[in-house]
Amino acid sequence: MKPLALYIHVPFCARKCAYCDFASWPGREGEWRRYFDALVTEIRLWSANTDFGLLKERFRVRSAFVGGGTPTLVPAEWIAEALELCRKIAPFDADAEITVEGNPGTLTPEKLRTYRQAGVNRLSLGAQSFDDDLLYTLGRIHTADQTVQAVEMARDAGFSNINLDLMYGLPEQSMDQWLDTLERAVDLGVPHISAYSLILEPGTPLAERVARGELTVPDDEAVIAMQRTASELLSKSDFGRYEISNYARPKSESRHNLTYWYRGDYLGLGCAAHSMLDETRFSNPDSLDEYLAGRRMTDVQRLKRRDAIEETVMLNTRATKGIDLAAWERRFGRPFAPEKSAALERLAGAGYIEMKDDWLRLTGRGLEVHNAVVLELLEIQEAMER
Amino acid sequence: MNYDQSRIRNFCIIAHIDHGKSTLADRILERTGVMKLRDMTDQVLDSMELERERGITIKSKAVRMPYTAKDGREYELNLIDTPGHVDFTYEVSRALAACEGAILVVDASQGIEAQTLANVYMALEHDLEILPVINKIDLPSAQPEVVKGEIEDEIGIDCEGCPLVSAKQGVGIDDVLEAVVERVPAPTDDADAPLQALIFDSYYDNYRGAISSVRLKAGRVKVGDRIRMMAGRCEFDVTEVGAYLPLGYSPKDALCAGEVGYIAASIKDIADIHVGDTITLANNPAKEPLPGYKPVLPMVYCGIYPADGADYETLRDALEKLRLNDAALSYEPETSVALGYGFRCGFLGLLHMEIIQQRLEREFDLDLVTTAPSVVYKVVKTDGTTLMIDNPTNLPPVQEIDWMEEPCVDAQVITPQEYVGAIMELCQDKRGTFKDMKYIEGGRVLLNYDLPLNEVIYDFFDQLKSRTRGYASFDYELKGYVRSDLVKLDMLLNGEQCDALSIIVHRDRAYPRGRSIAEKLKEAIPRQLFEIPIQAAIGGKVIARETVKALRKDVLAKCYGGDITRKKKLLEKQKEGKKRMRQVGSVAVPSEAFMAVLKMD
Repeated sequence: MKPLALYIHVPFCARKCAYCDFASWPGREGEWRRYFDALVTEIRLWSANTDFGLLKERFRVRSAFVGGGTPTLVPAEWIAEALELCRKIAPFDADAEITVEGNPGTLTPEKLRTYRQAGVNRLSLGAQSFDDDLLYTLGRIHTADQTVQAVEMARDAGFSNINLDLMYGLPEQSMDQWLDTLERAVDLGVPHISAYSLILEPGTPLAERVARGELTVPDDEAVIAMQRTASELLSKSDFGRYEISNYARPKSESRHNLTYWYRGDYLGLGCAAHSMLDETRFSNPDSLDEYLAGRRMTDVQRLKRRDAIEETVMLNTRATKGIDLAAWERRFGRPFAPEKSAALERLAGAGYIEMKDDWLRLTGRGLEVHNAVVLELLEIQEAMER
Repeated sequence: MNYDQSRIRNFCIIAHIDHGKSTLADRILERTGVMKLRDMTDQVLDSMELERERGITIKSKAVRMPYTAKDGREYELNLIDTPGHVDFTYEVSRALAACEGAILVVDASQGIEAQTLANVYMALEHDLEILPVINKIDLPSAQPEVVKGEIEDEIGIDCEGCPLVSAKQGVGIDDVLEAVVERVPAPTDDADAPLQALIFDSYYDNYRGAISSVRLKAGRVKVGDRIRMMAGRCEFDVTEVGAYLPLGYSPKDALCAGEVGYIAASIKDIADIHVGDTITLANNPAKEPLPGYKPVLPMVYCGIYPADGADYETLRDALEKLRLNDAALSYEPETSVALGYGFRCGFLGLLHMEIIQQRLEREFDLDLVTTAPSVVYKVVKTDGTTLMIDNPTNLPPVQEIDWMEEPCVDAQVITPQEYVGAIMELCQDKRGTFKDMKYIEGGRVLLNYDLPLNEVIYDFFDQLKSRTRGYASFDYELKGYVRSDLVKLDMLLNGEQCDALSIIVHRDRAYPRGRSIAEKLKEAIPRQLFEIPIQAAIGGKVIARETVKALRKDVLAKCYGGDITRKKKLLEKQKEGKKRMRQVGSVAVPSEAFMAVLKMD
């Protein structure tokens, strides 16, 4: 039985954050239930679908992730109902990692209790910052205090596996503000922290304000310094960096997260959800209206050898463990690089990559220029394929 | 109309750019009725898209027009439209040699310009009757009387009764036509002598093959005749002769002495037709060819490479197609370490080069990388042999060179007085030798300089334009070779020489040029994983240095719910970008970097 990760998308939120360009809509309460009805239908269809064989006969669920939007906005019973139904798609492992993503401003003890009863054992909270001014600039609906209360509430409800999402490189953010946010997150005693660098997506209110000159974002050097500070500070508190943006105490790495980077099978349910099954990638429409109109799997791509090679390089290298070179050779029937590769030696010599025990990994410095290093590694692959 | 030389008038129109030559030609075609008003587009004779867009004439064209003059007789007018740019001076001289008269168009508000003078001198050399015409009299700033005085004083042509015209509004066109009939002499060529047909242009027609535009100076030619190219030394059988209509052909039984028309003879390669050559009959050849033939030699060379190496074949086919119509374009396959497979192309001048590049990009949808233009240097080696070098890469090692010579031009600049200082400074900067200065009408000055051609092709035009706010006009003529202290300037990227960036430059210029190119490259080459030293060097000695620092940050952080499509798209884009770059050793250099070196401040 192959491991499977499930993703459920909840495309609703109380307010659109100023930096967000993802499939999520504020308001539209009138459509919430319709959406969950459609989602339930989709789950039922998958439990009988045979496009990839009957999933329950081939897979066991190792992780499930309810993301958004803001899943904690809608009635917790609906989430519980959806998760319960998912067990008909494929059996869940007894120790499956089941995460619900939430906004600290929307949690209640009742909701948490319902999640718990539905088997949810991990919470991922969008803390983003412990500075209320920055939270305001980002358009978040919660304060730093509410994040602290949310974590306490979660503990009281029996959750110990909690992640806090943090953001750096924010408009007008100083290094001191970032340090304070990191320290307060660590002090809360959570075992997992994601630290994302802000990306100004074109068309978002925040990008427009920056373009108009109303706000200034820290320059590349400052952003790199913030990232390095996060790595150092977190490692002192026993957090290991296991992916570009993810840090965890030992054994608290997110299994679900790693599925993406190591190209495991995953099934996405709901609007804008992406899937990867048997080397086929497919996704549901980004538009809520189209999803509600019943359109599914609008974009299907059967991956070829070349795609698999490119994806493996691009995704594995995001994880700090890197590429398993022995597994690579088994999978693609040839070594990753020639015996003596000048290109690899040059990358290693400049401190971008490390090769040890048959693993190739990017160093901290290498991760800062991840795209450029990946392009170099892909050039090696192109030569090897010829 | 029967053949009667006394009714033939062969003439051309000469003018400085933008003085209204093509508009006047349009009006003449309209007035003589060969073009119906509804068929008229602007610049009828400039059929190339580029010609219309840039308001320039690139190729010579001839058209025959019947005209009933005020004396009641019918005349046959042959208008030969000539290119108006210094690059095409030789073509112009051949077109002039086909005429008896020239209409000199002068802008009523601008007066005489550098090209006006150059063209007039050339027309006078061919003993043409010059008919001055003052154009654009409708402009508020028109000063026809002042301009007339200028023509009389500067050129020494009587402007008594010269037509005052507004080609734009169609005013005074009849006066021009009457003046042509009255004042341009009819040809007096011997139709019974052996055939002598002057080729003043050539082009390719899909059905007729390569066609010669000719003026018969003696004899006659008809379909079925076997003709001989006197300089080209090849023979063909005539398949068609005739006169030109504005948009086509008017085949005739024969062409006779004094007439202008075309000869088709199933000629496959335009290279067999040399502009300036004389066509005669194989079985009754003329004793002598007509005077003035010289093979056309390219003045400016550059390397043209496809931005995507896969387009090499397309580029070759495109050059071949352009060459069908342009005997002055030459190209040879060439390889560059940095740019791969491409062609070294020779042009008549910078405009010619620019036109060819633009036509390749537009008509054949090619993306090109072009190297810095080079002139042809003469290298005298220590063993006494002489080399002509059109590509800096081919320069022999310094120790084998005794001395070098570079081409030099005789340049004329006409400018309003207030810019004289600026222009003298510019010519000084460009290693010019001052020769003469003359005050002319309208507070303007004619400056005469000897200038090295390699300085002219560098950025002389741009500099002249910016330093005189566009008021100065410029013309030049190749003078010959002069000995010069030249060196090869190499550019090194990460210690590796990039052949496509090498230039030959005067020793005194080498340091500022090297520094300037290094700075441009620093701007044009994106940061990469490794630091890139950029060096300018002469014979291994580094004279300037810049550094492209290593890339600091290039990472996409978030990945929403397993959606990796965005990352893949970005990666694809970056891969594409990288593919479009040229690999110089370990350094990826974008095509724009090669262009940036061409454009200097």
